[in-house]
Parts: sequence; C-alpha cells; structure tokens
Amino acid sequence: MIVKKLIEKVEGEAELDFTMKDGRVKGVEIRFGYTRSIEKILQGKPDRDALVITPRVCGICNHAHLIAAVRAIENGYENAGVKIALSSKAKSIRAFTLHCELIQNHVKWFYMVIIPQLNQLLNIKSEDNPFLKASYLSSTMTKALAIFAGQWPHSSYAVPGGVTCDPTYVDVMQAQALVEEGIRFFEEVLTGLSLDDYLSIVSISSLDKIKGDFGKVLHLLKQKGLDFEGLSHDNFIVFDDSILSRSGKSRATTRASVDVKHVHEVLQEGTYAKAAQYKGRSYEVGPLARGMVSKRPIVKSLHKRYKDSLMSRIFARVDELALLLKDSKDLLNSLKLDEPSCTLSHSKQVKEYTGVGVVEAARGSLIHQTSVKEGRIENYTIITPTQWNLGNDTPEAAGVASMAMRGSTSIEEATFIFRAFDVCSVCTTK
Amino acid sequence: MKPKLLWLQSITCNGNAHSFFNHPDFFTILSSFELIHHPFIDTDHSFQDVLQGAVPCDILVLEGSFTESGFTKGGIEVSHLMKTYANKAKHIVSVGTCATFGGIFKQKDPDTISGFCFDGEEKTPRYETYASRLISLPGCPAHPQWISFVLMMLASNKKIFIDEMHRPVELYGYTVHNGCTRNEYFEWKIDTKGFGLKEGCLFYEQGCQGPHTKGSCNKILWNEVSSKTRVGTPCFGCTEPHFPKTALFETPTNMGIPRTMPLGIPRRAYLTTTGIAKSFKIKRFQESIIKYDS
Repeated sequence: MIVKKLIEKVEGEAELDFTMKDGRVKGVEIRFGYTRSIEKILQGKPDRDALVITPRVCGICNHAHLIAAVRAIENGYENAGVKIALSSKAKSIRAFTLHCELIQNHVKWFYMVIIPQLNQLLNIKSEDNPFLKASYLSSTMTKALAIFAGQWPHSSYAVPGGVTCDPTYVDVMQAQALVEEGIRFFEEVLTGLSLDDYLSIVSISSLDKIKGDFGKVLHLLKQKGLDFEGLSHDNFIVFDDSILSRSGKSRATTRASVDVKHVHEVLQEGTYAKAAQYKGRSYEVGPLARGMVSKRPIVKSLHKRYKDSLMSRIFARVDELALLLKDSKDLLNSLKLDEPSCTLSHSKQVKEYTGVGVVEAARGSLIHQTSVKEGRIENYTIITPTQWNLGNDTPEAAGVASMAMRGSTSIEEATFIFRAFDVCSVCTTK
Repeated sequence: MKPKLLWLQSITCNGNAHSFFNHPDFFTILSSFELIHHPFIDTDHSFQDVLQGAVPCDILVLEGSFTESGFTKGGIEVSHLMKTYANKAKHIVSVGTCATFGGIFKQKDPDTISGFCFDGEEKTPRYETYASRLISLPGCPAHPQWISFVLMMLASNKKIFIDEMHRPVELYGYTVHNGCTRNEYFEWKIDTKGFGLKEGCLFYEQGCQGPHTKGSCNKILWNEVSSKTRVGTPCFGCTEPHFPKTALFETPTNMGIPRTMPLGIPRRAYLTTTGIAKSFKIKRFQESIIKYDS
C-alpha cells in the first residue's frame, strides 16, 4: 500500500510516498517538485556575482551560501597563485555572523518544527506559543549578524580577501549585548542551566540536569518511547573545520579524513534533488555528524546508548547552540578592530580559476564549486546538506532519512523522524 | 471582524517570510488579522484546504515568481491557486522582487517566469484584472517594516499612496542613497580605496546602485541596526524591476563617469557639480575617520 503525504511549513514543501507492509514503513520516496536552477542562472555571469546570487538559494541558510561562495572564489585565487591571507579580524567576523545564522536556524527548527510536531504526534495540548520564542531568539541573533553584515537575510558582505564592514567598538558592544541576550534565553528558557553548567555536562548520566524546553523534549522522547526510533546508517561526514568539528568521516569506531573530490551527485527519478554520496556511500551530515566526528563527549555518550536515533539527532542540534553562543561571545571579546577588514585589493582579480568552498551550515556541509574563464562563471555546482540526508535509495545504498523512517509503525511517527532532519526543499539548485 | 490573511508562496527562497519573521512586533501585527495560511505558522486551516481553493481570503500576500505552468503543490498548479485567491481577495500584496517583477528566478526562463502583475517593467496580462487591488513591495527580500506598514494600513482601512508600479510612496519615494552614512563622500566625489573601509563612496567603482534605486534601506534600517551601504557593501538595486543586473561589484562607466545617473539628475547637472566638487582637495576626506593606534 502506498500512502502519500505532503510535508509543508518552514522550508518549502516535499512529498513523501510511503510504502507500507504489515503495518510498518517499508520504503519511502522523497520528492521535491521544483527547481529554481540557480546553477544554470549563474553560468556566464562575472564570478563575483555568485556572492549576490547564491545567498538567494535559501531564505534560511543564505549566509552559509555567501560564505561558501566567497571561499570558493578565494580557493580558486589561491589555486591560481594569488595568496589570500585573511586578517584575524575578517576571520572572526565571518565566523561570528555564521554562528548567528546557525543559532537562528537551530532555534527555528526546535521551536517551529520539533515542538509543534511533537505536540501534534503525541496529541499534547499546549498553551505555550513556541513560535513566539523562535521569533524572539532568531531575530535577536539576526540583528547581531546585521551589525556586521548589513542585513539578514541576503547579505553579500563577505568579499574575496575579507569583509566589507569596518566596525567600531560601538558596534561590537551592541552585538555583545545581543549575544548576552541569546545566552540568557538559552539559560532561562531553553535549558534552565547556566551556560557553563550546561557545557560541563559530559555524560548521559547528567542529562536529567537539563530543564527548560530542551529538558521537556528530551523527557517526552524517552517517556513516549521515541528515543530509539529513527536509526539510520550510523555513518557521518563533515567537510569543513570549524569550532563545531574538524572535517572527517566516522563509521562505527573508525574516523578518517575526507576530500571533496570523492563527493559525487546521483540523479534521481521523480525528484529535482540529486542525492550526494561519498565514494558511493550514503552519509549523514549535520549536527549529529559534527558531534560524532569531533567526538564531543556528551554526544558520544548519548550515541553509545541511543546510536543515531531521533534522541541523538535532536540532542546534537540543540547542543550546538551552547557551543555557538559561547564562541560568539569569545569572538567578539577578542576582536581586533585595528586590523584590516579586507586584505585583497578591489582591482586584484583572477580571470581563470577553479575553486571549492566548503562551510558547515546548520543542516550540514554545504559545498560550492566554481570554474571561471575570462572572468565569467563557466560552471557552478552547489551541493546542499539536504542532498546528503534526504536523498532517495539507490540500488547500492538506502538514503539516510529514508533508512531512518523504515520500520516505523505509523506515518505520523515516520514523518516526525523525517522532520528531525529538517526538510529544505528550497535548496534544490540544479 | 479581522481581515483574513493568506500568505501564498510560489517560486521562492522563503526569504521574504524569514525577513518578516525578524519583525520585533511580528505577533502583534498578526493579531490584527485572522491568519488563514502562512509558510511557518500553524493555522486552523489545513494546507489541503488551501490547495483546494476552499479557504477564505481578504488579504492575499504573494511571495515568489509566477509561472503559468510547471510548478505544482500537491498536484495543483500554483498559478491556479494564485489566481483563485487573487479573485477572492480585497487586497493583493506582492511581497519581494520575485512576486513583483520576476526577480532572480525569472532568469531561469525569462520568457515564462515573471512577477504576478509585472514582468520587469512591463505589465502582465493579469495586471488589468488585479491592478485596482494591488500593492507592490519589491526588495530581495522586502524589509519587515515595509511589509508591516502595508498590512497595518490595510487592516485599519487607510489609503496607501502608490506610484505607477503600485509601490507605496512612503517606502519607495526615497532612494537607498538617502540616509547613507557615506553621503559626505558622495557630495565631494571621493571614492573608497577598497572594501572594508569606513571612508569613501561605493558609487564610482564598487557598483553601488543606491543613488538610482528606490527604497528606504537607509531610512528604515535593516534588522533595526544597519544596511548594506553602512557596512560597506554596495547596493545591488534589489528593489528594481531588472534586478539582478550583471557585474554587481563594478560600476559601469562612460569616460570614467558612472553610466547610470542618480535618479532624476540630468547628466549635465551631475557633471557640473562633480567638476566643482573635484576641483577642491579637502584634507579631512583624505584621512581615516578613526585611528585606533594614535
């Protein structure tokens, strides 16, 4: 029996076709019904136009696209022999604004997807307005981002060699206050713990210390027996080094280094999204992958018990908020405003190059590849996190989310497992 | 009775929905309406009901570019939905450059993709049917306070004064240049020495379109704190019918003079004032505003 389900809210729509057998999900086909062809739109444009066009791939991850795009150009310049030496100031500002976007993203997913969907699944009536909480914290963080990047969404303030802004301490102080507000929210609303106390949790035995909205969700997952659901391949991959993780892949207990050149895309029938694979194998990307590859103690401890279940996946994403908030504060505290913002002259342009830019976006690794001839984009490839997690089964390997939904006893539960990966249908870029 | 608000998406990145969600009074604004459908917020109506064309609609917010066929949701052509609800609505608000003029996604297939009532500057066949109820809010994305301004004016039955492209004049009567913190450098024709500096104007080399782009980005600040030009990024003209143009980080010039003049300024007037301004060398403009090491 095939059951069709239309998924909507937050990041566009996806259609799921469930094949049911003996009351269980046997297989799932995931379909994204349209593509906006950004890659094609970029062809023939001057190379730096990618800094304006690619953020428009995605209303919620636009900043990650900007950073991937500028890194692709910078990598290309370096491949062509032009040295790029970013100042520590430019690096810190880029890291900070990217953190802000990730926080915004994680918070929207937790309060606008996980909580309402969980309430719906478990038939819980709540007087709380989770959307209000999402709006408060996400707009606080995008405001902090805009102090440096001018606006969110759709800034283009990162340019080859640095950033366009030249902030003052007045600006930094305003951003610091907003980050403090974010931390206060994390402590008083999300976890009921001070940030330091939260960060000192290293083992599953201390999990009960977490209160607040996060504590409630963890408790519900356990109480309702959802904690062991959603198991997938238990293979993880991370392509960029950041404070959240080094790059690498992890399978069972082995960890190995990775190279973007082994990534390939697989065309899929019936959907516009291509599946991404590494050496022919499916890998999960995103916060759980980052926690596993970086061997973050609390994530490892959780994984030991729950494997790559719903529990681990949801935990790892909210957990990143603590790391991001802490580092945001540190970055602002140590910002050196007397350094240059941009170290590459505007007139210094390379006309022929190929470059790769990789960034850890909220949902996982995002890869941009650009090849430029006579100053114009000949070919541009974007591989989004959605392509890793939400790709369909191939003859060789089941897709990550598809695998996680198999065996589920209801469409509603399977849908919740799917949503924990955070659908992003607007990201189909071919 | 609160007006019934339906937010419908076509070919979009969701950027306008996320932009509006940044509004500090987001929920206060929504409380003036009965929310029928929204891309994020749950309502009493299912998406299936929306797709069936069965829900009520007083104010239709359109986000995303228009195509007559080939873009479906749940098996239904979105163009059909847009027209169905546009026929019902008392007011139609096209939010963002995609819904208004076609925007970036028009470039996928310029012959078949456009805005709802405009295709670039041209009127679409739908214009005549819907013009009397249409408000345009171009911008990539539209500013949250531009959206709230229009919604609250409609909620309180006040007249919104619009220009020939149905843009509210209170929002688009200005240029992005208006209120830019680099205005002194523009007045004295001092170009910036590069990106990442507080000093200098971005109009002469870096491609800034602020002086000929309609929008109040430097009057009503983004995320309440800043704007592109305030952080040294050129304005890319994202509110304009032909956004995006090409070579966005370069100023097209004729004999060293920007090809596109500031809005409404005759070339001769511009050249005259430029000639005068450039004949003076003003020491303050050659120096850094702040020196942290002194």
